[in-house]
Amino acid sequence: MPDDFRTLLALVFVFVPLSLLSIGGGASLLADMEHQSVTVHGWTTARDFADLFAISRAAPGPGTMLSALIGWEAAGWAGAVTATIALYLPSSLLVYGAARLWGRWRGSIWHAAVERGLAPIAAGLILSGGIAVLRVSPGGAAVWMAAVAAMVLLLRWPRLHPLVLFAAGGAGFGLASAAGLR
Amino acid sequence: MSKEARLGGVSAEPDAEVREDHRIGLPAIFAAFFWLGVTSFGGNTAAWLYHQIVQRRHWVKDAEFLSDVALGRIVPGSGGVNLTVQVGQRLRGAAGAVAAVVGLLSGPLVIVLALAAAYTRIGWSPAVHAVLDGIAAAAIGLTFATGLKLLPSGSARLIPLAVGLATVLCVSVLRWPMLPVVLGLAPISVGLALVQGRNA
Repeated sequence: MPDDFRTLLALVFVFVPLSLLSIGGGASLLADMEHQSVTVHGWTTARDFADLFAISRAAPGPGTMLSALIGWEAAGWAGAVTATIALYLPSSLLVYGAARLWGRWRGSIWHAAVERGLAPIAAGLILSGGIAVLRVSPGGAAVWMAAVAAMVLLLRWPRLHPLVLFAAGGAGFGLASAAGLR
Repeated sequence: MSKEARLGGVSAEPDAEVREDHRIGLPAIFAAFFWLGVTSFGGNTAAWLYHQIVQRRHWVKDAEFLSDVALGRIVPGSGGVNLTVQVGQRLRGAAGAVAAVVGLLSGPLVIVLALAAAYTRIGWSPAVHAVLDGIAAAAIGLTFATGLKLLPSGSARLIPLAVGLATVLCVSVLRWPMLPVVLGLAPISVGLALVQGRNA
């Protein structure tokens, strides 16, 4: 099936460069992904792309699972797997190589200093990641308040299992919606 | 620490980054990251990984986790997947990295396609969106709690605390692009850590 094969190849050529250019996380990819899959290749319409984005946000896992959905639209199962591998393999190889290279200097004074110096920046980036997700959340002020409430609960009772909070958050918002509060 | 190491030499052990004790098997790594993948809602894999792998299983140390978070964000790609590659590598080398990443992604891949199929067949009610918002809010709360817990605290840690808060200020409040912020703050923070290490 040369046509199918050509589509898979096109997916590879779209997602491999995105994999290596996506500095700063998956969110920066979105505009490029839309341009390639809607305008350039016509794998999906602009309306469907917005739906796919909403679906990818609902699923667990890295936010960039949108690539699997685009691959699915373009070429079914094979497309979904191809797009996922094409998006994650190149950057994974890169970080694997970088981590091995970096590990070679383990034990030196400056290796320890770099790790100690980067630690607070990493903690700051984790916080910023949460704020970034809040910013794009369509849920409004209620989501901000629930996030802060969950944070306070977890800081106060560190042994509280987060899945309990996930379930409580989902149930609370679902009930509020059913009751017409939101 | 060996004399060579103290002098800042290159570690003689070729695979020093891999755990000496290979007690954590590949199936265990796959299973842990599979569970992590199917339960990490809200796109904040790092906080959830910290809870599952560092706090509950004690497979890596806080400092190792933070180092992997930082490198994972500097290198292109998804921060969560990059972090998973590095933690898997620490646990069991190349095979560990593959087991961890395949474990992390395989569940969400199937779930996202199932959701898409359900969406095109029956559509979604507003209540579904509300439930997802609620789960996402709790996941963001976990991210905040994790970030705050990992921020340095105590009177002796004022400089790292300031660096952490400066990162949040630049990226989230001033909304500067992440990479230049990290590349700008890193030399300052590393330099201060180097001076502190020499005085200690």
